[in-house]
Amino acid sequence: MAIETLVLGAGQEVGKSCVVVTINAKRIMFDCGMHMGYLDHRRYPDFTRISPSRDLNSALSCIIITHFHLDHVGALAYFTEVLGYNGPVYMTYPTKALAPLMLEDYRKVMVDRRGEEELFSSDQIAECMKKVIAVDLRQTVQVEKDLQIRAYYAGHVIGAAMFYAKVGDAEMVYTGDYNMTPDRHLGAAQIDRLRLDLLITESTYATTIRDSRYAREREFLKAVHKCVSCGGKVLIPTFALGRAQELCILLEDYWERMNLKVPIYFSAGLTIQANAYYKMLIRWTRQKIKDTYSKHNAFDFKNVQKFERSMIDAPGPCVLFATPGMLSGGFSVEVFKHWAVSENNLVSLPGYCVPGTIGHKLMSDKHDKVDLDPNTKIDVRCQIHQLAFSPHTDSKGIMDLVNFLSPKHVILVHGEKHKMASLKEKIHSELGIQCYDPANNETVTIPSANYVYAETSDTFIRSCLSPNFTFQKCSSVDLCNSTTVDRNLMPELQVEDERVAEGVLVLEKGKKAKIVHQDELLLMLEEQKHDA
Amino acid sequence: MAEQNDTSEQPLSLRTLCTMRSLLLHPSTPQHTVSSILETLARSPSHHALKLLSDAAALRPDLALSPPLLPSPQRLAVEALAISLTRLNLDDTRFASLCFGASVPVRAWMLRNAGAEFEVRHGLLLGVLLGFTKDPFPHVRASALEGLVGFCERGGESKDVGLVDACYRRAVRLLRDVDPSVRFSAVRVVASWGLMLAASNSDMKAYWSNDIFAKLCSMARDMNMKVRVEAFSGLRKMEMVSEDLLLQSLSKRVSGHGKQKETLGQRTSEQFVMLATNVAGALVHGLEDEFFEVRKSVCESLRTLTSLSSEFARKALDSLMDVLNDESEVVRLQSLETLHHMAINGRLKLLEKHLHMFLGALVDNSWDVRYTDRKILKVVKLNYLALFKSSVDSLLGSLDSYPQDEADVFSTFSHLGRNHKKFVSLIIKDMFEEVETALEGNVEFNSARIAALLILSISAALLNADVGRIPPVMFSYAVTFLGRIYNAFSDIMDRDALLACLCEKSRSTEYSATNINPGEGEQQFPLFEGDAPNFASNEVIGSKIDSHITREQKEVANDQVEQQQSVYNEVTNLINYILAKLPDMWPRIQSGHTNEVLRSLRCLKELTTMKFDSLGSGDADALAFTLLYLRIIELLAEVWNNLLPAKGLCYQGIGKLEFKLGKLDRRVKELMSRFIGFSAEEELNVLELMLLTYTLRISKEEISCINHTLKRLSSLYLRVESILKESSALPSNFLVELGKVLSSTSINGASCSPLQFEACLKFFSLKQFVFHGPIKHVKAELSVPNIDFEHPLPFVSGLPVGIQCEITLHNILSESRLWLRMTLDDGFIQYFFLDLDCSEGSEEVRKCTFVAPFYRTAEADCLILKVCIGSECLFENVSPVQKFGGPKRELVLLCNEKQVYLSKVSKA
Repeated sequence: MAIETLVLGAGQEVGKSCVVVTINAKRIMFDCGMHMGYLDHRRYPDFTRISPSRDLNSALSCIIITHFHLDHVGALAYFTEVLGYNGPVYMTYPTKALAPLMLEDYRKVMVDRRGEEELFSSDQIAECMKKVIAVDLRQTVQVEKDLQIRAYYAGHVIGAAMFYAKVGDAEMVYTGDYNMTPDRHLGAAQIDRLRLDLLITESTYATTIRDSRYAREREFLKAVHKCVSCGGKVLIPTFALGRAQELCILLEDYWERMNLKVPIYFSAGLTIQANAYYKMLIRWTRQKIKDTYSKHNAFDFKNVQKFERSMIDAPGPCVLFATPGMLSGGFSVEVFKHWAVSENNLVSLPGYCVPGTIGHKLMSDKHDKVDLDPNTKIDVRCQIHQLAFSPHTDSKGIMDLVNFLSPKHVILVHGEKHKMASLKEKIHSELGIQCYDPANNETVTIPSANYVYAETSDTFIRSCLSPNFTFQKCSSVDLCNSTTVDRNLMPELQVEDERVAEGVLVLEKGKKAKIVHQDELLLMLEEQKHDA
Repeated sequence: MAEQNDTSEQPLSLRTLCTMRSLLLHPSTPQHTVSSILETLARSPSHHALKLLSDAAALRPDLALSPPLLPSPQRLAVEALAISLTRLNLDDTRFASLCFGASVPVRAWMLRNAGAEFEVRHGLLLGVLLGFTKDPFPHVRASALEGLVGFCERGGESKDVGLVDACYRRAVRLLRDVDPSVRFSAVRVVASWGLMLAASNSDMKAYWSNDIFAKLCSMARDMNMKVRVEAFSGLRKMEMVSEDLLLQSLSKRVSGHGKQKETLGQRTSEQFVMLATNVAGALVHGLEDEFFEVRKSVCESLRTLTSLSSEFARKALDSLMDVLNDESEVVRLQSLETLHHMAINGRLKLLEKHLHMFLGALVDNSWDVRYTDRKILKVVKLNYLALFKSSVDSLLGSLDSYPQDEADVFSTFSHLGRNHKKFVSLIIKDMFEEVETALEGNVEFNSARIAALLILSISAALLNADVGRIPPVMFSYAVTFLGRIYNAFSDIMDRDALLACLCEKSRSTEYSATNINPGEGEQQFPLFEGDAPNFASNEVIGSKIDSHITREQKEVANDQVEQQQSVYNEVTNLINYILAKLPDMWPRIQSGHTNEVLRSLRCLKELTTMKFDSLGSGDADALAFTLLYLRIIELLAEVWNNLLPAKGLCYQGIGKLEFKLGKLDRRVKELMSRFIGFSAEEELNVLELMLLTYTLRISKEEISCINHTLKRLSSLYLRVESILKESSALPSNFLVELGKVLSSTSINGASCSPLQFEACLKFFSLKQFVFHGPIKHVKAELSVPNIDFEHPLPFVSGLPVGIQCEITLHNILSESRLWLRMTLDDGFIQYFFLDLDCSEGSEEVRKCTFVAPFYRTAEADCLILKVCIGSECLFENVSPVQKFGGPKRELVLLCNEKQVYLSKVSKA
């Protein structure tokens, strides 16, 4: 048996994550994403490779979605409602709750602002979600007779999960996006030690090692505190889900500890609704938020108020979260026009801004004058602070996870080509594990485990119940990991338990495999000799 | 037995248990019966059954090893077995047979507790424990590892280095076990047995210490929280780690080859390359952990690790400062505790970049965090003036935010001042200006802030003879805040010692300033500049210097006199510093800050009273005067408060004012009559107060009463005029104006107006009362022996009764006219003149005993007579009422009234 991994998306790139794994005759699609950078047919994975005859239902056993980001779930409605897949779709409860918001938001953007042809409708999104089966963490789901799946906590965003799949004796894990470092509202990735044939892991930051989270938090809080202390206003352009909650918890905690009274505002719209979801999904957050839930819901922000448009020019310090992030249009840009002209104010931008956005222009050294649109030029005097928060694991986190799980094979996805090559080499040399980094539409084939079931004799079982130790001293020359010449002076004591070692596997034609005690073997041989 | 079998499905009754107990303990009970009972007990879930089982096992050890009991899978049965086994002297054979028996729960229990509780041969014990680390069951493996930990914790030690090495290596391999509980125990073995291994060979200690450190750090990324906590706890036990590895643990990026150090040799250098990957960023991961237990554990470990390398401590400090922003109070507190430990050991070097987080903790909303942060500030040495200033500002800010922390904040300022004298001297000018503005001005001030600045100022010089640049007046100001600030110095001196130091500091500098720059001496008497020409000030200064020289000569002559003079000087200086406060209060009284002034006065009174109580009676005269003087100023402030235009007088107010004026009148007369030895200047000061009192009364009295007061006022003014002529002193503005009004009144006859007298009041200002020589307190002590409520003095109605009085008189002048005043409840007063010629003793102390007759013995069955001694006011020439045989002038009482009980003699 072999495990075949067909990478339809996120192969040597970030976008339209989609991996189809064939494992012991079962076919599982992990993630069904879209690529935000393309508007043509390259936006979606090439689904024709799944089944040339377009019979998707028989071609796939199930679809597993790891989290609600569009590059992991963006193509799902198209796949089910347009292409007609009707099989089971698995995702966690939070992902099921939040994914339709993301899909609907994207659909509106495409139709309303770009005038594109509608690929799927709101009704189709709703219809798609009805097919979804929600799963809990560490819940083992029996998809088919031989197919089991289980979700593990991944961090990254609320509801994100790493998925374990087991078909027969073959076992594998697909991580999706994960974070080995916790942040203020989410925990770190968490998984059991498993006997894995294959680990498919993201490698977004394949060569980046990130320093302490505390330092980034300190810089952010310091900049904000300094700004509001001088009577300035802080603008934090951010997307509604994830980043806003993270930063708001950070500010709320700091405000509480330092007894600050400056108001924190959320702009109207998706964010308020998103906070409501986060309140309901407390179980999927980190330890402290869960522990204090009975006294105070961490997403019930005491200092946060709703922001009205009329308050843009109101005097006095404040902090404002406004959508969308990167200053790519909308309300955040409107506020930016008013506040950017004062040196007392501060704009806090995410670490990465798409080229072409105002945020990206502000990142450059020369941002004194910025073109907001062809007719408007603005004189930027406010301070710029670049946030350094990222929900992806860094390269050390990837190495730590791979080391902990120690699978037989590793496949890298969701990263840049050259950096993935570097990480692949590192995994191979440091951990001694075979590693692959396929491009889109490539297939990787690896061998899988195959276990033989054997009966055992009564004699062998009885012998296993009684420990049987032996001790021996070995010369260090025999040790492959000898470290220093001085070690030769000290013989090493080793212990072995011979209970299992006394078992002998017997394979006879036409009979089941059987393990017998070594003493029994002699008797069996005697009998055969007598018969002959 | 049939009955027992029937009840085996239910909790056994106590009756049944008693029967079972008897059967078990009886030697002749058949074996099969015993087996059945044990079987039943092992299955029973009740506590009583298990108790009986353990009792039986203790009394009959052979029962514990009976076959029916051992196969039992019941956890409770195993626990019962555990109780019984602790009382046995388990030998090697039994130990081995139980461990190798078929029962896995028994095996696990035996292994877990073997290391700590059983007296088994070490070789056998360790062999068994080591062997079972290979057991197929995870919890047996974990138990074997715990047994090894127990052996180590009990102080067990193996001489066989090979065996120690084997145990350590086995635990290292189990760090990668599938089961979290096995990994947890393996971490504990690596920490404890690793240290044992390192200790066994001094040449290899550095090598093994690094190995242990790296193995524990590799578990920083385990997926189980408890394993991670335990790994970081293990780091707390490290005694030695190379600096390269320590630094690597704070950086996720693996650095190049560590520094080549000949002392460590090539061995540890090679080791570093191998271990760096395991160690990389371990402590950073721990501090970033999701669970506060892990983060707290890391902070605790840093306490040990920062003492191993100063370079590492410097780098770790940055991380610990960032932890002060942690969301969990427990973690923030632990970080501060570690910082405190570093500060005590000289490893804490605060930098500018640490200020935001470190000083932010001073206003944390957790009391514990704030307290611990201040604890660090008390011991840390700040190396830059900017750091010092920021710390002071933040502490002052925390006073505003958390006034309940005042006591400890003051203590922190005390330590800050003592530890940073140079920095205090650099900012003393700004502090002095702020304090002076607050205390001398007419504005409301933040008293907590001022107190804090005073503590910071005086603490820098408190234990040194050299006061540096600190203005002496700061010590004087500090005296007024003594009640509030003395606790800040409670670790080095008590309240009295602090007061003595404060007086010492301000006095010695004043003397020095006077000698060095006579011109500055004028500043000691600012009011004289306004009220008298310069030559008067010079005379005063000269007089002071001469007086000092005179005292010096006396001191040379007589040691005993020298001691007395020393004490007297201390008291005099204290009094003068207290009295020096009063002129500055007058403008505040006039501007309506009465409550503030009253508060200051109460503080000064408290200070004086404290000193008064601690001195012998011989030295208390000046203090008694000061107390009375302060009370007068207090009454004056209260009276003046009612005169302010903004506050209209109502009918009730008038009544109160009358009462206060009367009280003021009595107090001033006491001041005049009960103290002798005034200089002309001193007498003028007091007389002016008397004139002020009369002027106040005239300006408020009805016209019909003015004449009487006016006569007294005129008479007193004539006396003042005569004194002024004799001393050639110039009158104050108030006296000048008053003279004009009186002249005008006499010209115009009775057609004067209270408004004119009221206008005079504006010209009054309080001059400083300065002691130049000793004054004496005039007082009397009166006692009526053997007479009290239960033993009344008998009398016969209609006949005089003799009251025997014992009188002691202090400082009575020969021209004094003393009277004994006896008063009945109905208001009847009888006076008896005291003839001083009959008394014995000197002018300072007179004692006499005489019998005073009381004539008015009425028909009542009992009487209460109030007796006291009074002296006539010699300075008044006006007699209010001409009485036959009584005093011609108003009496000033010299002692408290005594009650004498009289009882009519019964005829029966």
